[in-house]
Amino acid sequence: MSTLINRRQALRSMMGLGSALTALAVPEPMTAATEEHPAHPVAPHNVVAMLFDSTICTGCKACMPACNEANGLAPDTLLSGGIWDMPTDLNAQTKNIIQLYQEPQGNGFAYVKRQCMHCLDPACVSGCPFGSLKKADWGAVTWNSSLCIGCRYCEVACPFEVPKFQWDSWNPKIVKCEFCYDQRLKKDLQPACTAACPTGAVIFGKRVDLLSQAKDRIAAAPDKYFENRAYGEHEAGGTQVLYLSAVAFEKIGLPKLSSVSLGHYATKVTSVIYKWLAGPLLMAGVLGFAIKKNWDRHETERIKHEEETGFPDQL
Amino acid sequence: MSTRDSNGTTLINHWQLGVPVSRGPVFTRSLLLLAALAALALALAAVRFFSPLGPFSGMNDAYAWGIWKTFNVMTLTALGSGPLALGLAAWVFNRQRLHVVMRTALVSGFLFYSTGLLALGFDVGRPWNFYSALLPWRWNSESAMLEISICMPLYAAVFLSFEILPLVLERVYYTGNEQARTILRTIAPVIRKIYPFFIVGAYVIPLMHQSSLGGLLLLAGTKINPLWQSPVMPLLYLIAAGLCGLSFMIVLLLIVCLRYRRPLDVGVLNELATLLAWVCCGFLVVRFADLLWRHQLKAAFAFDRMSFLFLLESALIMIPAIAFRMRVMRETPRGLLNLAALACLGGMLYRFVPTSITFMPARSTSYFPSLPELIMAIGYIALGIVAFVVAVNFFAVLPGDSSSWDHTFRRIALFRKASKHGTSASAD
Ligand code: SF4
Ligand code: SF4
Ligand code: SF4
Repeated sequence: MSTLINRRQALRSMMGLGSALTALAVPEPMTAATEEHPAHPVAPHNVVAMLFDSTICTGCKACMPACNEANGLAPDTLLSGGIWDMPTDLNAQTKNIIQLYQEPQGNGFAYVKRQCMHCLDPACVSGCPFGSLKKADWGAVTWNSSLCIGCRYCEVACPFEVPKFQWDSWNPKIVKCEFCYDQRLKKDLQPACTAACPTGAVIFGKRVDLLSQAKDRIAAAPDKYFENRAYGEHEAGGTQVLYLSAVAFEKIGLPKLSSVSLGHYATKVTSVIYKWLAGPLLMAGVLGFAIKKNWDRHETERIKHEEETGFPDQL
Repeated sequence: MSTRDSNGTTLINHWQLGVPVSRGPVFTRSLLLLAALAALALALAAVRFFSPLGPFSGMNDAYAWGIWKTFNVMTLTALGSGPLALGLAAWVFNRQRLHVVMRTALVSGFLFYSTGLLALGFDVGRPWNFYSALLPWRWNSESAMLEISICMPLYAAVFLSFEILPLVLERVYYTGNEQARTILRTIAPVIRKIYPFFIVGAYVIPLMHQSSLGGLLLLAGTKINPLWQSPVMPLLYLIAAGLCGLSFMIVLLLIVCLRYRRPLDVGVLNELATLLAWVCCGFLVVRFADLLWRHQLKAAFAFDRMSFLFLLESALIMIPAIAFRMRVMRETPRGLLNLAALACLGGMLYRFVPTSITFMPARSTSYFPSLPELIMAIGYIALGIVAFVVAVNFFAVLPGDSSSWDHTFRRIALFRKASKHGTSASAD
């Protein structure tokens, strides 16, 4: 489907420890490619997105049971005494939640939908040791149970605190919105949450289209939207979920983030050092040279000493 | 042999080789207590293997890493970097004198690493998928977590174990029969042949993973207070490893020599202290230059909670950096012990806080380790101590004077008091 993603993966596997050998077999032009983690990743034009407009959402929460159903999640009934779904945050059985923000003074309020942001350059994917989390087709960030070791690095890395761990399970999974990748995207269906939304507060489409639609809405109603911009266009290098809000983004739980992707921040130095394992090999060469010299000297002394004492020297 | 200085405090001697402790009971009451604690921790670990993490720990989705990772791994493997720091000094920078304390460093380092890995093994949620480590095509080579989860076990299981092997073989050589000796005489040259190649790996690999421990935290981004979150974290974590490794070696040597009434070698300790002072200076220079460059110096001296934490950490490292310039501080056991302990605490603090105290996710909940979590964390350390005590008693680990040892070893007989002078197993 996307040559771009395959190319990315091919490049990535060439960069490091893993597949120095594979790399040798790959033709030269492909290796002289662009940066793996540019500071400001450019979205491939086929990636999908969600646009959530907080000024439209009525808080009906139709998307929540729809998400649970599509993903086979049991409702979180802890707070409601076993009666209905009532999570307080994203958790191990909630991939999608509608939260209410109320002004401390006055009666202003806003609803916000939270789920995975499907970052363009996801921190969780950069950190996941064996590629359990990966950027799949259409840019959906998916989790693979047979590759996850349960290190929970993704929870530490995700700037939006999305991945959740099943603390109560012997066979714990990482639970996060996967854009309904297996359940619906692959079957040419839109995600359950956007399909269920009766008001059009959250809609599904190509990222380019939704971004321009967001900009149209902002242009049509100047100063209606906070900062006259869509959250997610640049945050953390850009995300595939875009937000429009009348209330300050931070107030509705969307953190203030730099536009540089975390993957870029974390790998800009190491990717140079570890490229082709050059750094470690160089280091080994330098150390080896010094050690060899000192070792030889040490050996001559040892042999002399052993002759003197009659006992083998300690190493 | 040994002399006293004018204060009557310093015993001057020359450490020449590793000498086993051959007097006194091995399994004292306090050691048995530690062993019981270790057993309790291992029993809990066994239960944990069949139980989900939730009921076992205070961890939650915001603080997904508990003390097993932040303390047993992040912090204690810094103390276990003695073999790296000393080995680089001895073999690369040719500080000949330090060879004699290598064995103490190797054994303690191995124990820190292996107990840390034990902690890690019971911390991960899906350990059965770890076999991917053997399948390179699954590796996400840009992940610091990958580097750590492969390099750390590799280092402990292959490189450190290989470096420790001569200790074991030596015991076999002196206590075994003629046949064993012949075999050992033939393999000794082989070991000596490959040894230099192994130690190259034994230094490159920890250089990689000790810096990756800092690299791990880069992805956490703004969750870590800006006084700590910095692109130079990998470098600082590496320097802190050297700092902790060296300072812990001084503390450890002083404590065990005190405990087993061994004379001290001022020359070696002096050299370690000098090195430590330089590493402390290096750490502070990088630390402050980084804060200056990132315009965080003002926050560092804002005298709020984070600033105090930072100042405490810097002071703990700065005091030894300055005081070790004075000869008297480097040559009296008390000065050495106190200052090295300060540096060690400072380094440990730097390695600990970014994942704990200054780790502040936006949807902040709180985390405090649960009782089983604490018992396991402490129990792993107890296990390390027990193993260390056993090792120094049965193997030639601690540095000593060559005339104090006649190449005999304690017999391996549990719970039997060794005779006053070292008993020779070969006399059987
Ligand atoms: S929001 Fe978090 S979990 Fe989702 S893709 Fe981004 S980093 Fe990964
Ligand atoms: S917990 Fe699983 S999905 Fe998350 S980073 Fe670790 S291996 Fe990857
Ligand atoms: S895309 Fe699917 S998994 Fe994600 S929030 Fe919507 S319904 Fe839930």
